[in-house]
Amino acid sequence: MEQPHEIRFKGLGVSEGIVIGQVLRMHDGARQVYHWRVNVADLEAERLRFRGAVQLARQQVVPINKQAEKRLGKDHSYIFDAHLLLLEDEKLTSDIEKQITDEQANAEWAVEVVGDRLLSLYSEIKDEYLRERGSDIEDVMQRLLVALSGVQPRHRHLSEDAVIVSQDLLPSAVAELDLEHARALATDTGGWTSHTAILARGIGIPAVVGLRDFYRRTRTGDKIIVDSTRNEVILHPSPGTLEHYQAETVSRMKRELASDAKESGPLLTEDGVEITLRANVEVPAEFEGVEKHGAHGVGLYRSEFLLARRGVIVSEQEQRLAYEEVARVAGKEGVIIRLFDLGGENLREQFQEPEKNPALGLRAIRFGLRNEEVMRTQVRAILVAAANGNLKIVLPMVADVSDVRRAKAIIQEEANSLAKAGRAFGDVSVGAMIEVPSAVFMADNIAKVVDFFELGTNDLVQYTLAVDRGNDEVADWFRTLHPAVLHSIDRSLKAAFRAGIPAIVCGEMASTPAYAVLLVGLGATDLSMTPSAIPRVRRALAGIDSREARTIAEECLSCETADDVEGIVRERFGKLWPHLFPPKSLPERRQTHSQGK
Amino acid sequence: MLERTLLVTARLGLHARAAAKVVRVARGFNSKFELRRVDNSVSADAKSILSVLMLAASRGTELKATVEGIDEEAALNAIDNLFAEGFGEMEQESPR
Repeated sequence: MEQPHEIRFKGLGVSEGIVIGQVLRMHDGARQVYHWRVNVADLEAERLRFRGAVQLARQQVVPINKQAEKRLGKDHSYIFDAHLLLLEDEKLTSDIEKQITDEQANAEWAVEVVGDRLLSLYSEIKDEYLRERGSDIEDVMQRLLVALSGVQPRHRHLSEDAVIVSQDLLPSAVAELDLEHARALATDTGGWTSHTAILARGIGIPAVVGLRDFYRRTRTGDKIIVDSTRNEVILHPSPGTLEHYQAETVSRMKRELASDAKESGPLLTEDGVEITLRANVEVPAEFEGVEKHGAHGVGLYRSEFLLARRGVIVSEQEQRLAYEEVARVAGKEGVIIRLFDLGGENLREQFQEPEKNPALGLRAIRFGLRNEEVMRTQVRAILVAAANGNLKIVLPMVADVSDVRRAKAIIQEEANSLAKAGRAFGDVSVGAMIEVPSAVFMADNIAKVVDFFELGTNDLVQYTLAVDRGNDEVADWFRTLHPAVLHSIDRSLKAAFRAGIPAIVCGEMASTPAYAVLLVGLGATDLSMTPSAIPRVRRALAGIDSREARTIAEECLSCETADDVEGIVRERFGKLWPHLFPPKSLPERRQTHSQGK
Repeated sequence: MLERTLLVTARLGLHARAAAKVVRVARGFNSKFELRRVDNSVSADAKSILSVLMLAASRGTELKATVEGIDEEAALNAIDNLFAEGFGEMEQESPR
């Protein structure tokens, strides 16, 4: 067989690292099905191909059915029995075969057409519950499509070097993965803040997203290199490329081993400024990293993860258990729980009509203030959990003091009613996320009514520049090092200092070593980041003099454009700290494609 | 040939899991087995899950069962029992 040529695909590296592995294709349940015309002479072969797929799908369901019967009891396993019966159903299979014959259609297309027809019949059913059961038909159709493509649908147990390749990895699919063994992720869509990206960073595996037309060019088992530091993946790497990467991997591992040793004790810059590094966590899979990487407690707990799984509001009891657990993981330094940062895109069906512009809509604290019961339940759970742990609350996306006052009133009321009911609870301090421009402008006022600031740099960049990070078309305008962003950070930090309250900077800026240095230059001494980023940020900050960082930061503040800032960072960092910042780790000089990291 | 009118009493109606049970029972017999909405709008081969599902029988729906074959009486009784006990789904969770 001919050796396929090496192809490189550009995307956006959203979780750092380099991995050499094998492609494992995972479809996302929303695949595009193409129609092609089958020659009359080949129709019998196409029907046979379809029957083969039915056979394969059945072989997959039988063991699932057996296992479900064992684990869930006969009654629940009947759902898989229904799937099995559907796959055996002669009416269904003959309909599809008829479609192949009559339309001279490929099997995938026939499955899709017949499936759609059935689903549309189903969608007319008046009874809501029965109507929803259409998803069983959908499931079976999906299984047939997967069987037709010859791919195994579920990969709970991944091979050692599996690189998950998908169009768009849905949270549910991610949740199902045996993540311990996924080595990297590569997807056609998605941006910096997509669920995939956040999870990949959390677990500490490399990910490149936004590869556009990559998925369909891969086959499971293909050799692949994922290099998020260069924002690319390499399919069918040539022997030369492989050798190069293998050498690089070995030297990186040596470096990391050497530096892992000095990872305890307080982090001091060369000139003795103490910097606190905390962990951002979302899913339990990340908890382990908190202690492992020596995080100073949890600086940001994204509580909406609790909802992501089931899409419904979780009970007080269930929330309390989750908060207690994360408080335990965080230890004496405590955990800062961000109240549900939800928007129209998360809870549409339950609470509201689709919004035209969810990023500017009823989200985060606005959602909580509008749906007070949801917020009160969460606040109660946190207060009660605080009886046994160190918990703080941070309010997402406040615009000014009125949001803060209303939220604080609710927190106080809940504390009062717990006291009245004689239930144990603890005191929690309350901070504000500074992540929208209005909060930046009003920071001095907000600082007077909260216990701490938390700067969410991801959203701050998006809202300051009015650029959606997930939108490829405007990637050139998404500039983390834009002077406007630096001024916003500077202004917020100064407001916190004036009021004498701590300010924690979180978001991707904090977890990128070069940017973290700039943050320290702007006066930040408290950073929170994804646990796996802590070692590299620690290494960088331990090796710099904060006074030099300050000089550079001030120079950056006087810049006119993001290009100028990046130029200064590239030049000055490269000269001052070449051992810490090899050229690759600094913002690239801009060319045609997107931004440097 | 035997005929009997059956009532769907299960709260969740004749959904996939229940339909699977009906089909499994019907297939256990030799007789030809048809289920039809009483208004004659849809009829189904009780041995085909797809066609049973297409009856879209929610709770309170009346279905006419027609059985024909050597074991028609036993078959009809078996299905009747299944309907009577609400497809054996006593403690269903709420359909959310």
